[in-house]
Amino acid sequence: MRPLRRFRRRLSSWTTRAQDEERLRAEIEEHLALQAAESIRAGLLPAEARRQALLKFGGVEATKEDYRDQRGLPLLETLMQDTRHALRRLRLAPAFTTATVLTLALGIGATTSIFTLVHAVLLKSLPVARPGELYRLGREARCCYMGGYSQDKEFSLVSYDLYKHLRDNTKGFSELAAFQAFQPLFGVRRAGSPEAAQSCPGEYVSGNYFVMFGISAYAGRALAANDDRPGAPPVAVMSYRLWRERYGSDPSVMGSVFNIDNKPFTVVGVTPPGFFGDSLRGNPPDLFLPLNTGPFVEVDADLNKLDTHWLELIGRIRAGAKPASMEADMRVELKQWLRSHWGEMSANDRAAFPDQTLFLTPGGAGITAMREQYEHWLRILMMVSGFVLLIVCANVANLMLVRGMERRRQTSLSMALGAPASRLVRQPLIESLLLSLFGGAAGLGIAFAGTRLILRFAFPSPPGFAGVPIAASPSMPVPAFAFVTSLVTGIAFGIAPAWMATRVAPIEALRGASRSTARAGSLPRKALVVFQAALSLTLLSASGLLTAALQRLERQDLGFEQDRRTIATISPRFAGYRTDQLSPLYRRIHDSMAALPGVSSVALCLYSPLSGGGWGTGIWVDGHPAPGPRDDHFAAWNRVTAGYFDVIGTPIFKGRGISEQDTASSRKVAVISETFARKFFPNEDPIGKHFGLTADTARQFEVVGVAKDARYLTGTFGERILPLLFLPEAQAEYAHSNQGSLFLRDVVILTRPGASLSAAAVRQAMASVDPNMPIVTIRGLREQVATQFAQQRLIARLTSLFGLLSLVLASIGLYGVTAYNAGRRVNEIGVRMALGANRGDVVRLVLRGALALVLFGLLTGLPLTFAVGRFLGNQLYGMSPYNPAVTLGAVVALGLSALVASFVPAFRASSISPVDALRTE
Amino acid sequence: MKDKADVLQGTLALMVLKTLDVLGPLHGYGIARRIEQISGDLLAVNQGTLYPVLLKLEQEGSIASEWGTSENNRKARFYRLTRGGRKQLQAETQGWQQTAAIIGRFFAVKAEDLK
Repeated sequence: MRPLRRFRRRLSSWTTRAQDEERLRAEIEEHLALQAAESIRAGLLPAEARRQALLKFGGVEATKEDYRDQRGLPLLETLMQDTRHALRRLRLAPAFTTATVLTLALGIGATTSIFTLVHAVLLKSLPVARPGELYRLGREARCCYMGGYSQDKEFSLVSYDLYKHLRDNTKGFSELAAFQAFQPLFGVRRAGSPEAAQSCPGEYVSGNYFVMFGISAYAGRALAANDDRPGAPPVAVMSYRLWRERYGSDPSVMGSVFNIDNKPFTVVGVTPPGFFGDSLRGNPPDLFLPLNTGPFVEVDADLNKLDTHWLELIGRIRAGAKPASMEADMRVELKQWLRSHWGEMSANDRAAFPDQTLFLTPGGAGITAMREQYEHWLRILMMVSGFVLLIVCANVANLMLVRGMERRRQTSLSMALGAPASRLVRQPLIESLLLSLFGGAAGLGIAFAGTRLILRFAFPSPPGFAGVPIAASPSMPVPAFAFVTSLVTGIAFGIAPAWMATRVAPIEALRGASRSTARAGSLPRKALVVFQAALSLTLLSASGLLTAALQRLERQDLGFEQDRRTIATISPRFAGYRTDQLSPLYRRIHDSMAALPGVSSVALCLYSPLSGGGWGTGIWVDGHPAPGPRDDHFAAWNRVTAGYFDVIGTPIFKGRGISEQDTASSRKVAVISETFARKFFPNEDPIGKHFGLTADTARQFEVVGVAKDARYLTGTFGERILPLLFLPEAQAEYAHSNQGSLFLRDVVILTRPGASLSAAAVRQAMASVDPNMPIVTIRGLREQVATQFAQQRLIARLTSLFGLLSLVLASIGLYGVTAYNAGRRVNEIGVRMALGANRGDVVRLVLRGALALVLFGLLTGLPLTFAVGRFLGNQLYGMSPYNPAVTLGAVVALGLSALVASFVPAFRASSISPVDALRTE
Repeated sequence: MKDKADVLQGTLALMVLKTLDVLGPLHGYGIARRIEQISGDLLAVNQGTLYPVLLKLEQEGSIASEWGTSENNRKARFYRLTRGGRKQLQAETQGWQQTAAIIGRFFAVKAEDLK
């Protein structure tokens, strides 16, 4: 109690300091006066009485000192004193302060903006209630459909039937929700509105989806279990974003009917603003539809297909439930379910049955496809920005060391006067911390702007879509990160100068400044320059590697032509077309586009190259043994209209392409790629051979042509091009199957050389076919391809930027050290010149010292560059990380800028007149 | 060395409290004189050490101070015991007496008494 009261008083005492000081002085004065008066009464002379009084009192100054220690909190006070002192010193050197703060701001800002991304993508949980209780099925994110009764490695996608089986039998979940792994686009139009349907990403979710996440509606109501049963009135929940941006937060949206893919749905609610669904991704869903409305929207819904696995699961576990034992239960349930479908299973499924298993993993972050996709390159960027920060630290440490040198005399004087070493260390350290905190504050601003920029480039989204739900404004952990980074930075670059301060001998104060012979401080400074050179070489070569890899990517032969090709993406499904209406529709679209002025030819396809679409299948070759369970018999396939190969610009090597002669009544044909030919028809002529897409239809298609390999699938740039096959649209089995693959998505338009095609003209032509048919996007094929490299380009550019920054910083550092050392050697240079050295000798002398440092830096940096090259690994898309040209380029770049940086001070040193130099002594 | 100073300070504080208890409000010099008279050497040199002790006691709330006029008509700071200080004095007096009694008994014991 009493110590506490005392502490409070001491804490507050600094406000009354001047007053207290005066009071003590008065009290002591009074004390001495009374003592002296008494002695005078005893017969002493006044002067002697005063002397006696002083003697008796003891050391007045010591008492005062003691009193002050008791009065306040000396540690705090001296700290504040030092801080004030440091601030004053910084104010007195505005150029130094500004330069340092700016440099630090760049370093801290770069690191912080990258951390914002790391935090959002890698560390953050979904904005839902108690994310720690959520568990999901599967370890890796998988997209988007799996067929059959076996899955490789783990069962992570499930069919609706399997979902119900797991939901009803696993006890540990309070709710187990299912939702679609693939996010389709829906055509949305408010009933009665004249506008054409607009495309919105959406997903089918189970009725308990929102209950499981603990999310209640922002307006209206969320979906309930009742909405998700066969025959329930079709309802939908809309995202806050869509509601606000397209419908102006109109409350009458609730309860209104919207046509979704031309089917009437009642919108019952709006999700809360921060909610972006079950996973962080580029296009968060704008519509949530109950699973059971699937068959209402599309005839060919996946809902009741037992062996089509298209659902992800996330569940909330009950308090006290053990995920490990739940996982074990679910494995048993999976086996039970599979066994109950033994009759429908293929031989391969049965063979794989013993290996079938599943995993339950923490699901608080949702489906982490994006995390898996971006983790590596975020690590790269984090490392790169960390390097920049290190170089910044080294640079600032260098500047601080120079300041320390300038302060040597003062420091040694303080020491001679008895200043404790701790206080002397503290002063430069406080200065460093202040600088880095200012730098951190400025860095936050840079980080904010930087993050916005990076978000724009890193996660490009077509206009009208939400884009990735990462806020550029830093959330709480980000400023905390910046603050901690600043502190660590401040200590990192402040520790050396602080340490130097204690190594000053008091005797130095007594020597003349120019007489000072101590070379202390030049070794740490040299080490810092070597360190900077090494790091900057590493960054330069990393950026060189990434840029070279990017160029290789962009220049690679994709197997199709990019110029003069425009891709219009449509969705006949939005306009409510039935599959039997499709073939005539394609014909009309083709004719209407082909009639546009400047258009040379037109073809439609299921998906154009690198559009993000892709369909895969197994291949059974006629006359070959059937593939076993572990044999790779995968190929990607595409459905195209006549003349497609000419329009897209893929040469046919053998036979012919898809043409008008392939009709519904002619023999079923296919065009295959070179890789397909090599893989499935090794050492034989594929023309005239047959294959099929299922085990019992191996004679389904006859090969009529072999096309050049072309890259269609995204995200596989480091790998070899997959085997491809093309089927004619005209031979699609419209009558038998009602598959999604019947809905061709991309219209490829080839314009004549020199002609241009406006988006408006394309839209108009489409509107003349059907005003209700929305065009999702129109873009050049070149642009479509370029967006595939956006990430790669961003990393390459950022790394180059950082590399350049580090080069500049390292050069400044080298310049500083060289100039400083040359300055210290003015006398020596003067003597040398007086003895007959010419300017060239002096320049060489100074340069030799500087370049030795750089050489040392290069030698230390080289092994580091190789390590970094290996770390970059698959970001190089198959390029070897040991690229002599790149390494040489980095060495030359660093060497040249080092030469420039050290030549300036060398030249200046050589222009000293020997007389002046000797006179300064 | 430091331990000794601490003990000294603790004792000094108790002496200050007792002095103020007996004599009522007093200025620093008065307290110093009084302690000097009673304890002899303890404060003969270094009367100055008294002031930090006074400050500490005041911060702890055991004593309070205000400006007044001294016997030779000068402005002086007068210290007086607060209620808290009186309580503290009682508690510490008791403590001291106990300690003194125990230590006293220890010194009184002769070697043969323990046999």
